[in-house]
Amino acid sequence: MKNSSSRGFITSLLFLVGGLVAGLLLGVILHALTTGKFSANYFTDVPSWMLGFLVGALAFFYGLLGYNGVVRGLVWQVVGTLSGAAFVTLVRWILDTVGGGEYTLFDLRNYGLSEPAWVFGGLVGALSFMAGVGAVGDWFKWAKGDETHDHHPEEPTWRTYFGVSLDHKVIGIQYTMTSLLMLSVGGLFALIFRTELALRLKPDGPSMDIISLNLYNSLMSLHGMVMIVSILLGIAGVINYLVPLLIGAKDMAFPRMNAFSYWVTIPAAVLLLGSLGFGGFDTGWTGYPPLATRAPLGMQMFYLGVWVAGWSSILGALNLITTVLRMRAKGMTAFKMPIFVWASLATSLISLTATQMIGLAFQLSMFQRLFGMPFFDVAKGGNPILFQHLFWFYSHPVVYVFVLPGLGVISELLPVFVRKPLFGYKWVAMSSIGIALVGFLVWAHHMFTSGMNEYLRVPFMYATLLVAVPTGVKFFSWVATLWQGKITREMPTPFLFLLGGIVVFLLGGLTGPPNATVATDLHLHDTYFIVGHFHDTMFGGYIFPFFAALYYWFPKATGKRLNETLGKWHFWLMTPSFLILTLGMMRIGLLGMRRRIADFDPTLGFDAWHVILTISAFGIALAVLIFFFNIYKTLKSSEKATGNIWDSRSPEWQVPSPMPAYNYEKEFEVVGEPYDYGLPGSTYVKM
Amino acid sequence: MSSNEHSHSNSLFQGIVTFVVLAFLTAVEFFIAITNASLLLLTTVAFIKAGIVVYYYMHIYKLFEDEDEHAHDHNSFAWKLATNRLGLWLFIVSDAFLFGGLLVARFNLLGLTRPHLDQVLGLGVTAALLLSSFFMNRAETLMAQGDRKGFVTSAAITLLLGLGFFLGVVFVEWPNAAHEGLTASGSAAGAVFYMMTGMHAFHVLTGLIFLGIIIRNALRGHYSAEQHWAVEAATVYWHFVDVVWIFFYPALYLIGRLGG
Amino acid sequence: MQNSRHFVIVGILVILVAVLVNMGLDAAQLFPVKASIQAVPIDWMFDLQIKAISFFFALIMVPMVYSLVVFRRKPGETGEGAHFEGHTGLEITWTTIPLILVIGLGYLGAGNLAEVRAVDPQAMDVTVVGFQWGWRFDYPQGFSSNKLYLPVNKQVNLTLQSLDVIHSFWVPEFRVKQDLVPGETNYLRITPILIGEYKVRCAEICGASHAYMESPVIVVSQADYDAWLSEQVAAAQAAEAAAAGKPDSKRGAKLYEEKGCKACHSLDGAAGVGPTWKGLFGSNVELADGATVTADEAFLVESIKEPGATVVKGYPANAMPALGLKDTEIADLIEFIKTLK
Ligand code: HEA
Ligand code: HEA
Ligand code: HEC
Ligand code: CUA
Ligand SMILES: [Cu+2]
Repeated sequence: MKNSSSRGFITSLLFLVGGLVAGLLLGVILHALTTGKFSANYFTDVPSWMLGFLVGALAFFYGLLGYNGVVRGLVWQVVGTLSGAAFVTLVRWILDTVGGGEYTLFDLRNYGLSEPAWVFGGLVGALSFMAGVGAVGDWFKWAKGDETHDHHPEEPTWRTYFGVSLDHKVIGIQYTMTSLLMLSVGGLFALIFRTELALRLKPDGPSMDIISLNLYNSLMSLHGMVMIVSILLGIAGVINYLVPLLIGAKDMAFPRMNAFSYWVTIPAAVLLLGSLGFGGFDTGWTGYPPLATRAPLGMQMFYLGVWVAGWSSILGALNLITTVLRMRAKGMTAFKMPIFVWASLATSLISLTATQMIGLAFQLSMFQRLFGMPFFDVAKGGNPILFQHLFWFYSHPVVYVFVLPGLGVISELLPVFVRKPLFGYKWVAMSSIGIALVGFLVWAHHMFTSGMNEYLRVPFMYATLLVAVPTGVKFFSWVATLWQGKITREMPTPFLFLLGGIVVFLLGGLTGPPNATVATDLHLHDTYFIVGHFHDTMFGGYIFPFFAALYYWFPKATGKRLNETLGKWHFWLMTPSFLILTLGMMRIGLLGMRRRIADFDPTLGFDAWHVILTISAFGIALAVLIFFFNIYKTLKSSEKATGNIWDSRSPEWQVPSPMPAYNYEKEFEVVGEPYDYGLPGSTYVKM
Repeated sequence: MSSNEHSHSNSLFQGIVTFVVLAFLTAVEFFIAITNASLLLLTTVAFIKAGIVVYYYMHIYKLFEDEDEHAHDHNSFAWKLATNRLGLWLFIVSDAFLFGGLLVARFNLLGLTRPHLDQVLGLGVTAALLLSSFFMNRAETLMAQGDRKGFVTSAAITLLLGLGFFLGVVFVEWPNAAHEGLTASGSAAGAVFYMMTGMHAFHVLTGLIFLGIIIRNALRGHYSAEQHWAVEAATVYWHFVDVVWIFFYPALYLIGRLGG
Repeated sequence: MQNSRHFVIVGILVILVAVLVNMGLDAAQLFPVKASIQAVPIDWMFDLQIKAISFFFALIMVPMVYSLVVFRRKPGETGEGAHFEGHTGLEITWTTIPLILVIGLGYLGAGNLAEVRAVDPQAMDVTVVGFQWGWRFDYPQGFSSNKLYLPVNKQVNLTLQSLDVIHSFWVPEFRVKQDLVPGETNYLRITPILIGEYKVRCAEICGASHAYMESPVIVVSQADYDAWLSEQVAAAQAAEAAAAGKPDSKRGAKLYEEKGCKACHSLDGAAGVGPTWKGLFGSNVELADGATVTADEAFLVESIKEPGATVVKGYPANAMPALGLKDTEIADLIEFIKTLK
């Protein structure tokens, strides 16, 4: 990468604005061309804006980086998409001409905007991105029989993060930043549709005030999936950064595949968000047919985006399992691994296998739309319930993918702040595996009202309830760890987030069993009670621990410690807002608030509640903004934190921060237990 | 070099025996299908066949082999080989879930009926794939013995047989089925049939590309008796695709009674 | 000594907090009124769940907060906590006790479900048809209504069918819900016990106007119900009498929407699950068996009454349901089809 191509931040911001306007205009023109008429509405409709955002982002990065890394990837993706679409169009035109068809090539509406063209184009675009960004070059060399250089870690500069790097620490940070970006986008969607719910400008009767029904449904559905992708990226980020450091490895087992796993999420995210530009979709994140068969073209972009992102999960999990099994430092036997490594392993077992099922479910549904293959069409012998089984076979276990690393972070960090060993290490480790395995047997609890085989509901109820047992083991162990500790007086921010995580996840977990007993679920299913349940589990099990991890390891990555005051503001604003949000959701849910509705019956009397919920949502958003500001401020400041600031026993803190590019100069050796706080003279690793 | 020759004929013998057993079991399957089409029996035979391939052709035991003194030198070839092996097997585990899902879909939608298909064709493509597995095994063994020429010959035969399978499915079997009224959009049975064979054929296609690459590289003098990971990977992958067909073939052609 | 004091305090606090939380939740009026027999066991189960939640919430939160207060370092204090790595006995305890509780909960849950699904052989029948985006209730007496009238204290067996996508039948006051899956038939049994007006609210997202897919559900006394019933039957008979002999395309157009023909047959020539109705009447229809027939009255009547008898070429047999329409309705529909040139 040449330095001269960079133009500085401010210029880049100008590029952003220019790109936005240009993209918007382009959208309007395309729109007018394809519909053959012009309307001022084209300036405000979603597709034009999506194009505006895309071109704007491209221009911004171009200003920042020149034609390099992610910029080249995105350009290739756009070109690839258009070529793919053009190719399909051409083939269909030829076939039609040979077959004596009636259309001409230039009639865009008949071919250019057809579904097969765009779906194929989307796929080609994603692959082109990978080639353009440079994440597959070495593999082509291998295929040609050429040698490639083993990579030598270099100290990263900020530009390193916008191009392909094979260093697991860089990739970890790339994942984490992308995750935060997706969190903001998904959160922004939530803020928009929550505002719609809070407004009731027309007091009685239907009242859609700022967005249309279709846009509400699209934003709501995308909010769900974008957040889930954000979680998967965040987990991958923390795992990538940490696991090699914790086990004393130089890198992941397959660094190129690691880079591939990261970069493939970018085109996936573009596809996912691009679905808004193709008419959105109104099925919720679950994408059930037969509704999905009738939804706009955005449905296909959604399916395709998730399908592509799935490969990131699968390959990332493969990489992690291999790394943990093959690359541990000397002396690190199974039960001497840091507990977070156990959690990552358990998570990866799920990602590796179950992800195929959502891929398959979405693929079948895509093919039903593309080729009319009637997998889920009862009239032709299909079965819509089959989709639900395949979908939930992944999407239930995946909720444990979300929480296991989060709970791992809690178990990993509690002892540091309590100055006491983790209570019952082996039980905690085994409970992760237990949750992962039992998690495979419970999927149909999402389908209690679907009309699946009646008699199957009872075994699924038992299996679901069973998950409470290993989860309980974790909670009891945390409490026992806290008991009689010497808890740090300062209550640093990461510790607060750990505690917040425990409280919130407890609320989420305890609202699980009422969903699991079939009879009560008949009332709860598809209400805001469920929405409350899963925001609690996901926030407590993932968002809170994720923030704890960011605050805790930020100094490791940068050599600077995040501002404590701002951190406390972040925590004390986010936690109460969040509790009000979810407890309020549960309350109106029990009283009859259905989920996934763009507007609600005013006679229910929920108006005030929705206003409160929306205000809390903005409270959370403000807290997140404080966090971003904190990062900015800390990076600007010159205060250093290079030592073992948390007084941890863990190997990564035994070397100075920021972590050197080559990790550990020499391999360390494990000589003790990981969490023997309070045992005089003991250490975990010998450097 | 007598010991080498010994192992040479030994491995050839093993390859042939494995092949004959697999062919015999396929015949048994066909016989079961004609007589009573028992789900249990057919599944059992399929598992036995798969087990044989996984052990004798895919050498799953190599995953658990003791490592030598280089075990902790992460730059050594031995270490990298063992790591790559693990990675490949994990990929196969993951991919197996995809095909498992397709089988679940097939049984959910069609139950114990099967679509009307041309049995001779089905047996034909199965035989082609089985035969290709034998030659793939030969190819790998020859490479392990340092016989690059023998490797290329065997691998090329594999490639041709695989191509035959692929073309057979896409250009003979599919039009044939469509002609018989089994279309992708007409019924769930058709959709399942085309999806299963299509996904399998797609994997065959990637296997063919992989084969093409290693043949080309071997012709340019790459790979040796000691270092031929790409060959091993292609082999294991090829046999995996074969294992998938071992389950798909009875599931599509043999099990249950003919559906309407 | 010190230790046992901690345990005693925490023990007392756990019980106190659990009781308080439970009282708070009980006082909070968490549910809408209980308007069906099925709601009784369900609310009993909810009650049990809320007790368990209160208890476990206190069991975790109290020792946690207590530790944070009591075991936090005093100003200036240093040193590490007690080196205590675990306790197998404790671990086994807090694995087995929840395990037993959970199995017990499962057992109760299964019995509870059976109670909810209890069948009354005397139950009356109503067919519920869901579509984008509305509800129709077909009564066995031969008329349809857009409001669900139910007599109090009598079990009704709802037959649930969907014409297009998945919907879900839910009346919050009745507690139970069940999906309507196109092409399949599901059942739901409800015994209303409280006279009043409620709403059925579609609980499964079904497209743009899912939010508005609500219809009144009116529970009345048996006498009022009987009165309503005879009124409806009389009205239906009057309509039928009026219709007899003079089919009316307007009524046909309405039936096209209501009976769900719309889901498969277009009026503008567009392809659908079934053949379009545009220009159908009097046209020559090619059948799957190769024959060609003219789409006259007789053919249309047969096609509607016995869809499997003649199958149009290019369309699957069995796709079109036999909808059990009355002769006058069929006549209206055909009158409607005739207008579609
Ligand atoms: C991180 C995510 C996460 C986690 C961890 C969980 C955990 C659990 N979930 Fe949740 N769930 C979701 C995310 C999650 N869920 C999502 C996203 C949905 C909605 C999807 C959609 O439809 O869009 C959902 C929906 C959902 C449903 C379907 C509801 C419906 O749609 O009708 C059910 C039903 O059984 C359920 C149950 C449970 C249970 C029993 C647990 C258990 O694992 C909880 C176990 C924990 C505890 C119980 C607390 C601690 C234990 C103790 C202190 C021990 C003692 C306790 C007892 C003996 C009770 N969940
Ligand atoms: C981890 C996952 C996750 C997270 C973090 C959230 C966070 C939030 N969620 Fe979401 N939610 C889901 C996962 C998640 N959600 C899922 C899976 C669904 C189901 C979807 C479906 O039914 O299909 C759902 C559904 C859902 C609904 C139900 C919608 C419906 O049924 O109609 C609601 C309603 O209030 C809601 C609200 C919120 C709010 C207010 C937040 C808040 O916490 C958000 C707070 C805001 C932020 C974190 C962003 C802060 C940053 C900025 C404001 C900066 C922005 C600036 C720029 C981009 C430049 N969510
Ligand atoms: C689930 C789909 C579906 C629904 C709902 C449906 N039909 Fe059909 N219909 C079909 C199909 C498919 C065919 C063609 C195959 C056949 O003839 O059986 C058909 C054929 C017909 C024909 C034969 C006409 C022709 O084009 O030759 C008539 C008349 C008809 N339907 C009337 C109706 C009426 C009236 C209703 C509603 C009361 C209705 N259909 C509802 C699927 C449906
Ligand atoms: Cu019907 Cu939602
Ligand atoms: Cu679940």
